[in-house]
Amino acid sequence: MIEQYHHKVTNSIILWFDHYLLSKGQAYTNMTGVNFYNYDDDRLDSSYQVYGSPYKQWVCDSSIAGATIPDGVIVGNTPSGQYNQSITGRSGMFMDFENGRVLVEGSNSNYDITSNFAVKDFNIYFTNETEDDLIAERKYVVNSRLPRPDESFIDPYDQVLPAIFINTSTAQNKDFAFGGMEETTITSTAAVLAEDSYQLDGVLSIFADSKNECVPVIPMSDHPYNEFNDLKSGVFNYKELSAKHSSSNKLFINNVTTSKLTDRARKSLTNDIFVGFIDFEIQQHRFRHQ
Amino acid sequence: MANLPLDVQQALRKQAPRILKPGLKKEFKKKFDELKKEMIQEFLSHPVTVEINAGPKSTNISGTLGGKANLFSFIGFNANENPTKAILEILEKTTYKEVGDSKRSIGKEYSVTLPNANEIFAVTPMPWATGRSWAKGIETGISGLGYLLNKSTASSRSGVAIQTSKPVRRGGFKNMPYITALIKKYEKKFKDLS
Repeated sequence: MIEQYHHKVTNSIILWFDHYLLSKGQAYTNMTGVNFYNYDDDRLDSSYQVYGSPYKQWVCDSSIAGATIPDGVIVGNTPSGQYNQSITGRSGMFMDFENGRVLVEGSNSNYDITSNFAVKDFNIYFTNETEDDLIAERKYVVNSRLPRPDESFIDPYDQVLPAIFINTSTAQNKDFAFGGMEETTITSTAAVLAEDSYQLDGVLSIFADSKNECVPVIPMSDHPYNEFNDLKSGVFNYKELSAKHSSSNKLFINNVTTSKLTDRARKSLTNDIFVGFIDFEIQQHRFRHQ
Repeated sequence: MANLPLDVQQALRKQAPRILKPGLKKEFKKKFDELKKEMIQEFLSHPVTVEINAGPKSTNISGTLGGKANLFSFIGFNANENPTKAILEILEKTTYKEVGDSKRSIGKEYSVTLPNANEIFAVTPMPWATGRSWAKGIETGISGLGYLLNKSTASSRSGVAIQTSKPVRRGGFKNMPYITALIKKYEKKFKDLS
């Protein structure tokens, strides 16, 4: 199937949301000299060795001021610093920004790997799950950004907290102007699952102020990640990407409502988490039939 | 009035407003009150209102839950709560005032103050998440979170949600036009009042 309107909207909203949170809230933590741990991943073929860090979802957006965007790793015990970032960059490896790990070509499982990177304070996920499943039924691993003494790699693929789950739930078209112009209204909800009240209030505050923001429409072909969750072109800059699509008909954040799960309701959850909701009403005026 | 003598025309202009205005005023008040009553009655007889007003032991009259459980428990209200009272109070506040009155003109112009949907959404918070409106949720969708939270509480707030089977929320919630449609309809009706 070729790319549809809803694909573009989802892609655009997720990229915008991530950038907005990182830039307005500086919602990242720079980590230095983080150790990586080798582990097996049966989803990958044997030509790669996996080295995982203790943190998921690294910042990959170069337009975030102050965030350390990793461009390789430092290998301690290999001849001539094969993966030394200052020498060869990412040669012979993929950086999996989503799962917080590197995939190194070859079979050597004894590299002593470290790296510097910024990790997002909130993992961002796109989901089609219902709020009741996300909040009341599922059990989560908390991938705290605070270093721990028993540090090890974080398992890949599983969704971990703190996290924000974005869902574009409904879309509706309404006649708007002569000539076939329609007003498309999209309802998008973000469920915020935070470790503490400070984090939660911060996110809700940032997005409560996002009313009247304009979001450029970015096709999925311009999504920064490849199949390994590494950057397609080695670098990603949201500001440059949005400038590239600045002439497109933008999405308009027409209304935002934020709310929090009450303490009483929170106490009945299986996870000890702080929950909030951001309800977006997003509009675009467009010619659906063209 | 071209055929009437000038002095008669002048007398009419002077006397007609004084004689006709009280009648118009009375007539408008009567029509306004009838329409307001009709609006409130329509709200009270809406299947969602009826179901919620029937409390935690109601059946799913509105059909929003596919006939399983009921909205009162699904949303997670306390057993002694009256969630629709706040909406009723706002609708009751619908009023009018005279505008642009002139002693020389015969007709009268009125401005009707009708609540908008957002005002109603502001006074209808979800019992488990203030800031979200259950009345808006009827129109846009409600997750089964309130039901689940209610169910997992040792003593269910609504008193009966814990007895409802799990597939309730799996069936999904069927959205239904509610407050926005009502206000829009009566905005037009009040505008056409003459």
